[in-house]
Amino acid sequence: MKPSSSEKLERNVIQEGLCIGCGACIGLCPYFQSYRGKTALLFPCNVEAGRCLAHCPKAEVDVEGLSQFHFAKPYDGSPLGAWRSIHVSRAGDRVKKQPFQSGGTVSAMMYFALRTRRIDGAILTGRDGILPEPRLVTRPAAVFRQSLSKYTAAPTLEAMNRAVTAGYGALGVVATPCQAMSLARMRMNPLAKPSFHDPTALVVGLFCTWALDFRQFESFLSQRMPLREIVKIDIPPPPASVLEVYLKEGKIDFPLDEIRPLVPESCGYCPDMTSEFADISVGVLEGRPEMNTLIIRTERGEEMVREARQKEYLVLEEMPAENLAHLEWAAANKKKRGIRRCREAGKLNGAEGTSCLRMREDAAERILGNGKEF
Amino acid sequence: MSYLIDEGNDTQHLLMGNEAIVRGALEAGINVATGYPGTPSSEIIERFSGVAKERNLYVEWSTNEKVAAEVAAAASFAGLRSMCVMKQNGVNVASDFLLHLASSGTRGGMLLVSCDDPGALSSVNEGESRLFARLLEIPLLEPGDFQEAKDIVPWAFDLSEEIRNIVMIRSVTRLSHASGNVRFGPLPDSTEARAKFTYSGPLLDPATGPVISMILAAPELQHGPQQEKMRRAAEIFETCPFNTYTGPPSPELLIVCSSICSLYSREAVEILGLEKRVGILKLATTWPLPRKLVNRHLASAGRVLFVEEVAPTLEDHVKVIAAESVAEIGEKIFYGKQSGHLPSVGELNPDLVLAALSRIFNTEADPVPSAFARDVQALADRYAPSRGMTFCPGCPHRASYWSIHNALKLDGRNGFVCGDIGCYVMGTMPAGFSTVKTLHAMGSGSGIASGFGKLKHFGMNQPVLSVCGDSTFFHAAMPALANAIHQQSPFTLVLLDNRGTAMTGFQPHPGSPTNVLGDTAPALDMEKLCRAMGAKVETSDPFDLVETQKKLNHLLEYGEGAKVLILRQACSLSPERRAHKTYEVRVDESLCRGEDCGCNRLCTRVFGCPGLIWDREKKVSRIDEIICNGCGVCADICPAGAIQRREAS
Repeated sequence: MKPSSSEKLERNVIQEGLCIGCGACIGLCPYFQSYRGKTALLFPCNVEAGRCLAHCPKAEVDVEGLSQFHFAKPYDGSPLGAWRSIHVSRAGDRVKKQPFQSGGTVSAMMYFALRTRRIDGAILTGRDGILPEPRLVTRPAAVFRQSLSKYTAAPTLEAMNRAVTAGYGALGVVATPCQAMSLARMRMNPLAKPSFHDPTALVVGLFCTWALDFRQFESFLSQRMPLREIVKIDIPPPPASVLEVYLKEGKIDFPLDEIRPLVPESCGYCPDMTSEFADISVGVLEGRPEMNTLIIRTERGEEMVREARQKEYLVLEEMPAENLAHLEWAAANKKKRGIRRCREAGKLNGAEGTSCLRMREDAAERILGNGKEF
Repeated sequence: MSYLIDEGNDTQHLLMGNEAIVRGALEAGINVATGYPGTPSSEIIERFSGVAKERNLYVEWSTNEKVAAEVAAAASFAGLRSMCVMKQNGVNVASDFLLHLASSGTRGGMLLVSCDDPGALSSVNEGESRLFARLLEIPLLEPGDFQEAKDIVPWAFDLSEEIRNIVMIRSVTRLSHASGNVRFGPLPDSTEARAKFTYSGPLLDPATGPVISMILAAPELQHGPQQEKMRRAAEIFETCPFNTYTGPPSPELLIVCSSICSLYSREAVEILGLEKRVGILKLATTWPLPRKLVNRHLASAGRVLFVEEVAPTLEDHVKVIAAESVAEIGEKIFYGKQSGHLPSVGELNPDLVLAALSRIFNTEADPVPSAFARDVQALADRYAPSRGMTFCPGCPHRASYWSIHNALKLDGRNGFVCGDIGCYVMGTMPAGFSTVKTLHAMGSGSGIASGFGKLKHFGMNQPVLSVCGDSTFFHAAMPALANAIHQQSPFTLVLLDNRGTAMTGFQPHPGSPTNVLGDTAPALDMEKLCRAMGAKVETSDPFDLVETQKKLNHLLEYGEGAKVLILRQACSLSPERRAHKTYEVRVDESLCRGEDCGCNRLCTRVFGCPGLIWDREKKVSRIDEIICNGCGVCADICPAGAIQRREAS
C-alpha cells in the first residue's frame, strides 16, 4: 500500500523539522493533534489524498500556482509579493482605545468585519497563560481580548477547521505568513472536492520574522520568572533588538541574540515575511510604534479596507518612501535566507514529494541575488 | 455440597486434574492451602476455598508465591499438613524461600504444587519448573493421569513427613485442565487438627528445635542431612507404585516418559500397533531418579525414546545414569529432544510422538491425512478472519492504553511504557496501540522504569512510564516503587486497577474488600500507600479519556521523582460490570464518515473494540449489541459524533 497523506506529512514535514505547528492539519480528522505548540500524528490513516498534506504550508507548496490562482500573475520573487497598495494605518475612532500592539489595525478590521456581518466568525489567537490558543470569536467586542502578539507558533488554523465543521462559511482569519500560505492552498480546493466552498471572507496576514518554539520559550521564561506574572510580550521595531517581557510589576528585556536559539528550525526555511498570500497584511511601522504598515493585496481586501475606512473603523495615511524601501529590504533578506536554506537542504524544487517549496527557477535565482535586480 | 467432599468411598467422579489434586489433599487430611493465582493452577485454591468451612481448612490467596510458600511452611512447622500452589513462573518467585526451606526441613507434610504451562498457552513463557527440584534438592513427583493426580497426593504427604522435607508435585496444563474419571478414597476426620510450634529442643533437632536455615561455616550439619533425605527418597522411589511399565519384557524401543506425555505415548504406540515392540516406562518420581529401576529397564532395550515437556530434564538425568552404568547395561541409542526427534519448544501431543516413532521405526504415519489437512487449511483461510489478540469489549485497559499512547505521542519525546504480566501484556500489540516496549516478570516494568529514569544522567530524555495491575502492585511492584522513590528516579507508574486479579478469574488480593472465602477483609488503600511511600499520586477513571490524558501529560511534564497514576475501572468481565450496561450505544449511519478523509474508520480500524463492527456494504460502523459492554468510550473517540450513547435504563 502507498503511504497515506498522514504518513507522508509525518515523515516529510514533522520528522524533517519543517513543521511549525500552524494547525492546518488539525481538526480535520482525529489523527493529528496539537499539544503545547507541537503537532503530533497519533495514528497513521490509510487515506492517500488527504487534506492534511494538501493544505500543509511546508509540503510541496507550488507558489507559482498559488500566485496564478489568487493574483492571476506569476510568482516573481519580489520582496513583498503581490500588492495593490501600501499604507500607514491605525484603528479608527469607531474602535475604542485598547492596549493594542502598535496601531490596532488587525483588531479594528476584525471588529469591523464582525459588526458589519462581513464575516460570521473571526479566527484569532488568544492565550492561556503564555500558551497561544486558537479561538473562534463571534462577538465583535471579544476581538479585543485576543489582541497582542504571541511570538510563539500557534495552531490557529485548527480553530478554523473546527469552525468550518461547525458550519461557519464566511470567516475572518488572522494568520501568520505560514498560516496564510496554508489558507491560500486550502482555498484552491486542491483535492477538487465537489462540496467545497471557500470558507474565508477575509484573511489578515501578519508580518513575521520568526516565531519561537513554545516549549523552549516556556522553559526559558520559567527559569527566569514566575510565568503567571507575565502581562505582555513585545519585540519593538529595530533598532531595539530586544524581547520585552512586561510583568505585573516591572519589565525584563532579553537581547534577541539570547532568544534566537529558541527559534524552531522550521522558520529558517520560510521565505515570507509579510504574509504574501493574505488579502491584507499588517505589521509594525518603523519609527512610529502607534501605527501599522498595511499592505492591500486582493480585491476583496481592498474593498473591505475601503468600507472600514469609510465607516471610521480605520485610519489610513500615505506610506513614506523610506519606510517602504526598508520594509522591502528586510523582506528580501528573509526571503533570500529562507530560499537559500531550502535550496541547500534540497527542499526547493527538489525530489518529488519531499520538497517544501516549488517555484519557477528564474524567481528562485532572482531571490538568491543571481538574477536580475528588482 | 461440593462433590469434592463426597464421603462415598470408592465412588467415581469426573474431575479436572486440578480437582483430583484437591481431592487427594482432602483425603490426606490437609489443613492449610495457599497460593497465588496463575493459569493453569488457579482452580486448586478455588476448590479448596469451596470446601474450607466443611473441611476445617485455612485457605488464602497470598500476596505472592513466596509469601504463599512461607504461610504454608508455618503450618508445617506447627505440625499440620499444607500445600502451596502456583504456576511455573510462581516457583521462580518462591524459590528464594524454598531454597532456605529445603535446608531447614519441614515437620507436618508440605507439598509444593506447580502447574506448568508447556507451550505457554496462558503464560509469557513456558518455563520449566522441574529443574527447581534439582536446584533445591527436593523430591519431585509427576502424576501421569487423573486418578494418579489424586492418589499421588496422600503418598507425597507421607513422603514429606518421612523425610521431613517439602515435596514438589508438577502438573501441566493438559493434566490440570482436562478431566478424567477418578475413584475416591475415604475422607479422614477433619476436626482433630491442632497446631503447635515446638522450638524448645536442640538447635538442629528436626522434630523439636528451632527451624532454621543457617549453615554458617558448617554445611555438613545441614546440607549433609538434606542430601541424606534425597538418598532416602530415591530409595523409596524404587518401589513407588506410580512408576509403571507396560510392554514386552525386551522391547525394541523403550519410551521413558512422565506426566501427560505417558498418555500421548500410549496413544501413539496403539495407533501404530507397536504394543509388542515398544515398552513404556512411565516415571512419576522424576527427581531423584530411582536408579535401580531405571537401570533394569534400560538393560532391557537397545534404544530409548524420551517423551516429556518442556526441557529434556528426564532425558538428561537418565542419560547420566546410563553413562555411569554402561558396563552393566550396554550402549544405548537415545532419541528425544536432543536428537531432534521431538521438538524442544511447545506442547507435545500424540501426533508428535507418532511422528517420532515413525521416524525411528521407518514406518509411514499419517495421523492427519495430508489431503484433509489441506482442505481444513483452505477452509480456515477462506472463512476464519485473521484476527490479532485483543481486549474484551468494554475493557478498561483499551481505554487506558488509548490515553497513554496519545499522551506519549503528544508529548513528542519518544516516551515509552515498561510492562509486566496481566491482560495488559497486550499493550505490546495493536490491541494496546503498541505502547509497551519492555515486557518481563510481574513488577519488572516498574523496576526497569526506575532504572530508565536514572539514565537522564547519561543524556536520556525520553519520558518513562510503567504499567502494572492492582494484584501485581502488591505482588511485586511495591519494592520497585520504593526503590524509585528513594533513588529519586523520575518515572510514572500507571496502576491499572481493575478491581481484582482479573486475568485469572477475579481472585481477591490485599487491596480487595473480601478474602478467598468471600468474607470481609481489610482492603489496603493503594492510593494512600503510594502517597505514604512518598510518590505524587493522581487517580482517574480510564473511561474519562480527556481527564486521563490530561493527567498523564501533566505527570510526564512536571515534577521530580516517581509518580503514580491510578486508573480505576472494574474489568468488563467482573461480576459488577458483566451484568450491567452503563450505556446503550448506537451509530447514526447518516453521520458516520466511514473511510473518508476525516475519519478513515478510527473506531474499527484503530480503536478496535470488538463491540464495533464495520458494515462492508453500507460502509459505516455498527455496534454489535450482543457483545457491546456499554462502556460508552467509543462515543468519545468518534470524530463525527456518529457513535451515540444514552444511559441504559
